[in-house]
Amino acid sequence: MRESLSIRATTYALLALFVLMVAIPLFWMVTTALKTNKDLYEDFSYLPRRPTLEHFVRVVQREDLLTNIRNSFVVAATTTVVTVVVSAFAAFSIVRYRYWGRDWVGRLILFKYLLPTAMLFVPLYAIVVTLGLGNTLKSLMLTYLSFTVPFCTWMLMGYFRSIPPELEEHAMVDGCTKIGALFRILFPLSAPGIVASAIFSFTLAWNEFLLALVFTSDHSTMTVPIKLSMMVVGDQYIWGQLMAGAVLASVPITILYFLGQRFVVQGLAAGAVKG
Amino acid sequence: MAIRHRSVAVAIPAPRAAGRLSARTREALEGMGLLTPTVLILIGLVLYPFFYAIWLAFSDKAVGSPGQFVGTRNFEYVLGWPQFSAAIVNTAVFTVSAVALKFVLGMAVALVLNQRIRGRNFFRAFLLLPWVMPAFVVYLVWRWLYDPLSGLINYALMDLGLIASPIAFLSDRDTAMTSVIVAHAWRNFPFYAISFLAGMQTISQELYDSAQVDGASRVQQFRYITLPGLYHIIGVVLLLTTIQTANAFEPVYLLTGGGPSDATMVYTMLVYVMGMVNLRLGEAAAVSTLFLPLLVGLVLAVTMLLQRKARA
Repeated sequence: MRESLSIRATTYALLALFVLMVAIPLFWMVTTALKTNKDLYEDFSYLPRRPTLEHFVRVVQREDLLTNIRNSFVVAATTTVVTVVVSAFAAFSIVRYRYWGRDWVGRLILFKYLLPTAMLFVPLYAIVVTLGLGNTLKSLMLTYLSFTVPFCTWMLMGYFRSIPPELEEHAMVDGCTKIGALFRILFPLSAPGIVASAIFSFTLAWNEFLLALVFTSDHSTMTVPIKLSMMVVGDQYIWGQLMAGAVLASVPITILYFLGQRFVVQGLAAGAVKG
Repeated sequence: MAIRHRSVAVAIPAPRAAGRLSARTREALEGMGLLTPTVLILIGLVLYPFFYAIWLAFSDKAVGSPGQFVGTRNFEYVLGWPQFSAAIVNTAVFTVSAVALKFVLGMAVALVLNQRIRGRNFFRAFLLLPWVMPAFVVYLVWRWLYDPLSGLINYALMDLGLIASPIAFLSDRDTAMTSVIVAHAWRNFPFYAISFLAGMQTISQELYDSAQVDGASRVQQFRYITLPGLYHIIGVVLLLTTIQTANAFEPVYLLTGGGPSDATMVYTMLVYVMGMVNLRLGEAAAVSTLFLPLLVGLVLAVTMLLQRKARA
């Protein structure tokens, strides 16, 4: 069939175009990090002629990026642990308990999930300063909960709803308390959903930019995004180091994401089999 | 389901009337107890700042001073400022063009990925990469791509003989906004693509088969089967991303800082400059308060759409 052939050709041509569109900036980020300054600024080349790791070494040694990576990691990990515990309890409560006000909290969570941080950073800054938390990692751990908890609660509510309550009910007939059923039945069954929500929360905290920019002001408290963005103004010939930093900042998140995708898909598949 | 498990809960304790009531109260207390941390977070970090921002807009609060009620002075000041009208126009231009570009790109990618192509899973994962990467990384990379001295785009265009001299993409008034929009669209189109693709995969293949029997062209199939099947998803995605796009901060801050001469000054950037650079919290809050009605309207619209779907 002529039509189907031309459609296949168009499909593959478009696909090639999209792949190039995505690949070129990523390729440029990685190769810039591997090029010598000579290849970058004097003697332009599309490929690294003498690949080198010197930018990685320099961004770690001279810019002390490891401190910022540690800051990012501490903030993201703390936020994630608190978020997962708090959100799992909240989602369990909203989905499986009956009491007045439940729906309102559900609505407020959705509202916050949609309300952008740009609306809140000025008052949050005033609050952080009043609490004496200005320029600390604690200010980030605290305020990041304002978006990770609504996001993960919303996600886990959907996940818990997909698990039939009968199993918990059977456990309760056998003498298990409701909270006991949560720990023994619902949590293990929703492990993929909980892992996925942990990954999302870690990613949100790791990538957060605006609050970190506003709340932290020196190298020892800066997270990676702020440190790298501050380097842009500093020196003109810093792109090799910046792209090395960008690679370092993206790798953990990209790995986490593809691991997480597996969990999410597994979880969905398991839910579908159970019907 | 809720009714059923309440009856189970009732069956366990002693079957006295008082016991029945207390089981119900206990359930309520237990449920509220589990929800308490979240409620505290929502009150302390969402509701309180939300209303505090509105109060700030009516005060002369600066960092380190308590702030007095000053009526509508901040609003009058902000409304009379040329930067504010620039911010309205720029936010509108940025939002509408970026959403349109992401929509077209996302739809095209979803249509391609919905075909029977070899290695579809690989390509789906690969085309998702811009959205998986941290946003700040993406904008730093684009800043480097746009660089007038050593950036790839200028080099490639000159190599191909398309331009004679480098273009200062981010510091020229004519190109700055477009450049920011392109970078933002590159990072965010995958969200549209995966949402539309997920929607397309729920549309029954039989509809397409019978359309083909009736001699419908590909365009007609898209127009009369695919698009109607995606209406709900398109609605949710457009509203959700309109909110996010209108509040984008990172692309502007990391690429142009609002310049050159306010050509890319969107409202979030203006709030940042007023509050954090000029340290005038009252006026900064006034700017965001002025954008609040629009935002709340959009948020309520999405809330209703999503809740209708959750109920259905």
